[in-house]
Amino acid sequence: MTALRVTNLTHRYAGRLALDNVSFVVEVNECVAIVGPNGAGKTTLFLRLCGVLAGTPGQASVNGHDPADPKERKRLPESVGIVFQNPDDQLFSPTVADDVAFGPLNLGASEAEARTRVDDALRAVGLPDAGDRVPFQLSGGEKRRAAIAGVLAMRPAVLLLDEPSMFLDPRGRRELIGLIRELPGTKLIATHDLDMVLDLCSRVIVLDAGQLHADGPAATILADEPLMTRHGLEVPPRLKT
Amino acid sequence: MNLVLRHNPIPDSPLARWDSRWKLAAFFFAVAATTCLNRLEPAAAALGFGLVLLVLARLPVSWLKVRLAAFAFAALPFAIILPFTLDDGLAIGLAVLARGLAIGCFVLVLIGTAPLHVTFAAAHRLKLPGLLVLLTLLAYRYAFLLFDESRRLRVALRVRGFRSAATRHGYRTLGHAIGAGLVRGADRSERVAEAMRCRGFDGRFHTLQAFAARPRDVVFFLLALAAFAGLVAWDRL
Repeated sequence: MTALRVTNLTHRYAGRLALDNVSFVVEVNECVAIVGPNGAGKTTLFLRLCGVLAGTPGQASVNGHDPADPKERKRLPESVGIVFQNPDDQLFSPTVADDVAFGPLNLGASEAEARTRVDDALRAVGLPDAGDRVPFQLSGGEKRRAAIAGVLAMRPAVLLLDEPSMFLDPRGRRELIGLIRELPGTKLIATHDLDMVLDLCSRVIVLDAGQLHADGPAATILADEPLMTRHGLEVPPRLKT
Repeated sequence: MNLVLRHNPIPDSPLARWDSRWKLAAFFFAVAATTCLNRLEPAAAALGFGLVLLVLARLPVSWLKVRLAAFAFAALPFAIILPFTLDDGLAIGLAVLARGLAIGCFVLVLIGTAPLHVTFAAAHRLKLPGLLVLLTLLAYRYAFLLFDESRRLRVALRVRGFRSAATRHGYRTLGHAIGAGLVRGADRSERVAEAMRCRGFDGRFHTLQAFAARPRDVVFFLLALAAFAGLVAWDRL
């Protein structure tokens, strides 16, 4: 079953091509990594998939919704959740509980339902007692977890994670990998952390200069040294012979 | 980092347990009534009332001192200048000072006895527009981050040998730093807006903050109402 379909997706910023005819399909419960150098179009792709950036209808379908269709965009947060690169951009409420409840309340959940979702989501990310804390006071790893909880509380079918291991220390990174592995649903991870990709993703898509250059099993793609070098990447140490 | 408004933890007191909606309503009434006082004696009584509330709030003296001094500093010029410019200037000037300090006491009681987000949620329940509440809370939330970023920027300037001085280079560097701050701020605001839209934001303010008023919350409010109505009546006699 298809969770996400991208067909000839193109996006321009003031005439500059950021995504050029990108096409791929992601099946339900699949965990796919999008890798590529800076400026490859990974974040643009995510912003198009969650409907933040407007585009031509018919180029993408997330859980059956077209993110470019203004009528469907309102219902999109129920289907797709995005965790941004910097959790400080995402944690804008005065307390963690209010922040996690933000999405469900916007989607029309009752206060009781929102509270249940907050408790469930915070428990799922290992922060069961952080509800009353102020986001600013959380550590980097806790902020990342709280940001993930905010998205999990909306129970999206597809989860987009943009550079999830950025700014994390090794322990925080390790814990995050464990957490992402446990998360249900379809996951798309844009990252430079290729070691993490090997731990989490069965499939890798290589994006460079807005174009899709490779799509295949993680171990095969990431071990392909010429391909990796050509696109500003490196073979992860554990795949080097 | 410690922002001016922040005080943690909030000491347990009858005022901290007072339902924030009733407390806020009483605060508005107290400030309005104090503003209306013209004579020195009722203004001094309002100040006395404010000081009693501060004692009841059990807020640390060190936290109060600086903030009360700021209110005193703002009102002090009136007490100094008016005696030389008006016939009854001393009494009027002292009344202004007393009113300023009294309002300062009420503000400190309000922000010192409940987390700011709870007070704002209470304001929303009292029909303050949700968008205004949300914008204020966002400004408060990101003030912390801006302080942090400005500190990092200061460090970055220092480690590269910059010392602020009234020179062309100093002003130019300061201008660049402020410009960088503005650009980063604009960038961040866009990203925050994107994150909000991704989570279904539709312009309404939602909070999980629950309020439950007890009879004594209403009694406190009525007592405050009576006390300040009495002060206004006394002032008008």
